Amino acid sequence: MSQEQAAEKNVPVIELRHVDKHYGDLHVLRDVSLSVQRGEVVVVIGPSGSGKSTLCRTINRLETIDSGQILIEGELLPQEGRELARMRSELGMVFQQFNLFAHMSILDNVTLGPREVLGQPKEEAEKHALELLARVGVAEQAHKVPAQLSGGQQQRAAIARSLAMRPKAMLFDEPTSALDPEMINEVLDVMVELARGGMTMIVVTHEMGFARRVADRVVFMADGQIVEEGAPDDFFDHPRSQRARDFLDSIKGH
Amino acid sequence: MSAARTLSMRDALYEAPGPRTRRRVRIGTMVSAVVVLLAIAAVVRQFWVTGQLAPRYWSLFLQWTTWRFLGQGLLGTVAVALTAGAIALVLGLLLMLGRMSGVRPLAALCRVVTDFFRGVPSLLLIYFFFFVPAQLGLKLPSFWMLTLPVALAASGVLAEVFRAGVNAVPRGQVEAALSIGLSRGKTMRKIVLPQAVRYVIPSLIAQLVVVVKDTTVAYVVSYPDLMQNARVLITSYDALVSLYLVIAVIYILINYAINKASVAVANRTGVKIVR
Repeated sequence: MSQEQAAEKNVPVIELRHVDKHYGDLHVLRDVSLSVQRGEVVVVIGPSGSGKSTLCRTINRLETIDSGQILIEGELLPQEGRELARMRSELGMVFQQFNLFAHMSILDNVTLGPREVLGQPKEEAEKHALELLARVGVAEQAHKVPAQLSGGQQQRAAIARSLAMRPKAMLFDEPTSALDPEMINEVLDVMVELARGGMTMIVVTHEMGFARRVADRVVFMADGQIVEEGAPDDFFDHPRSQRARDFLDSIKGH
Repeated sequence: MSAARTLSMRDALYEAPGPRTRRRVRIGTMVSAVVVLLAIAAVVRQFWVTGQLAPRYWSLFLQWTTWRFLGQGLLGTVAVALTAGAIALVLGLLLMLGRMSGVRPLAALCRVVTDFFRGVPSLLLIYFFFFVPAQLGLKLPSFWMLTLPVALAASGVLAEVFRAGVNAVPRGQVEAALSIGLSRGKTMRKIVLPQAVRYVIPSLIAQLVVVVKDTTVAYVVSYPDLMQNARVLITSYDALVSLYLVIAVIYILINYAINKASVAVANRTGVKIVR
C-alpha cells in the first residue's frame, strides 16, 4: 500500500494487535494493543521494568514477539531478510546510549544509511546530512568522531542519522536517560521541533514535562500491560487507575 | 621512560605506593640488580672456564660469507613468516565468519577446524605436510611444506582472536546498524569488523611473533631458514654455542621489532575508540 492510499484510508502508521512476549518466566508484554496515526506523538511512560522499552524495540523487531501482530502502514512487519531491513529503514530509532558508530565521523554516521541502503550518491547524501546536522545544531562537529562529542551532541547527531533515512515514524527509547541534566533540554528541544513538524513519534521517556507539552496521547504501562491511555492533561490531572496515581505520586514533589 | 610507564600502569591497577612501599621497592630493585649481575658474571665465567670464548669459536663471524649465509637464512625466515602470516590472517577471518554465521553445520565445521589447528602442535602439522602429500605422489616444495602448516596452526588462534574482537563490539552498534536498514552482512562489514580489528591489532601482531618462532622447525623439511642455515654453519665450523647465541639475538631483535611495530600501529590506528 502506498503512503497516499494508507493516508486516505486512515490506516495507522504503527499498529500493535494483542502482542505478547516472555523472557523465560517473565511476561514482559501482555496483550498489548496500540495504534498510532500519522503525525501523532505518543509518549509511553511507566515504572522501570514495565515493558515500555521492550514495546518500543519490538516495533522494528530488535526484539521478537511471541504472539500478536505488528503492522506498519497496514503491512505486517516482516520477520527477516531484505523486507525486514527495508521496513527498519523506514522507521527511525533513537537509543538511550546513542549508539553512534564509534569508528566513523559524525558525517559518515549520518550518510552511511542513505548511501548503503538508499543508494544515494555521496554528494547528495552529504548535502542532506549537513542540512540535518545544522538543524539539530551539531554541524560544526560533522568531521569529529563520536567520542569527541558531549552526550547531548551525540544524541542530536543520532537523531540526524535517523532522519537522514526520511523515516515514516521515529521511535525514541529513553533518549535522555543517559544524559547529564544540563544536556537533556537540548535533545528535547530537537524532539519538540520534530513533533511540530508533523513527525509520527513514539517516545518512551521519564520526562513528564515533555509528555505534557508535546504528546497527543500518553500511554501508561505497568507490568507489561497498557494500564491507561489518554490526552496528557486528562492523564496527568485525573489519572483513572490506582497504578497511574501511585506512579505519578512517586515521581512528584522534587 | 619505560619505568615511568610501568609505574603509572601499576597506579591504574593498584593504589599508589606509599613511603614504606616505595622503600621496599627500592630495596627490591637493588637486591635483584645484584642477583642479575652475579648471574651474568657466573655465565661468562663458565664460558671462560670451558673455553667457549676462545677465538676459534668466534672468528667465523669476521668472515663475510658467514653473514651472507645467515642473511640468506633470515630472508627465508621472513618469506615464510610473512606468507604464513598473510594466509593465517585470511583463513582465520574466514573461520571466524563461518563460526559466527549462524548456519549450524558451517558453524560447527569451522569450530572443529579452529579447535583442531589451535590444539595440534605445529610440528605435528609439519610432519603431516612432509609425509602425506609425498605418499599421495604430490611433490610440494619445502617452502610450502613449512609455510602451510605454520599458517594453519596460526589461523586457528587468529580465528579466536578475531572472535574475541567481534564479541567486544557493543551490541548497540549492531542494533543501530540494523535499525537504519543495513543487512546482516553489511552490518558485519561496515560496522562490526572495522571496530573488532581495531581492538585486536596488538594481539594479531603478537601472533606474528609466534609464527616467526614456529618457522624455526624448518630443518624438518630442510628449508633454508635462519635456524637451518645456522645448523649448517655449526656443523662446518664446529661452533655450537657461539652460533646459537648469535642467532638467538637475531630472533630476539626480529620479535622486538615486531612488538615495537605493533605498539606503533596500535597508537596510530586513527581514532582511539573511547566510550
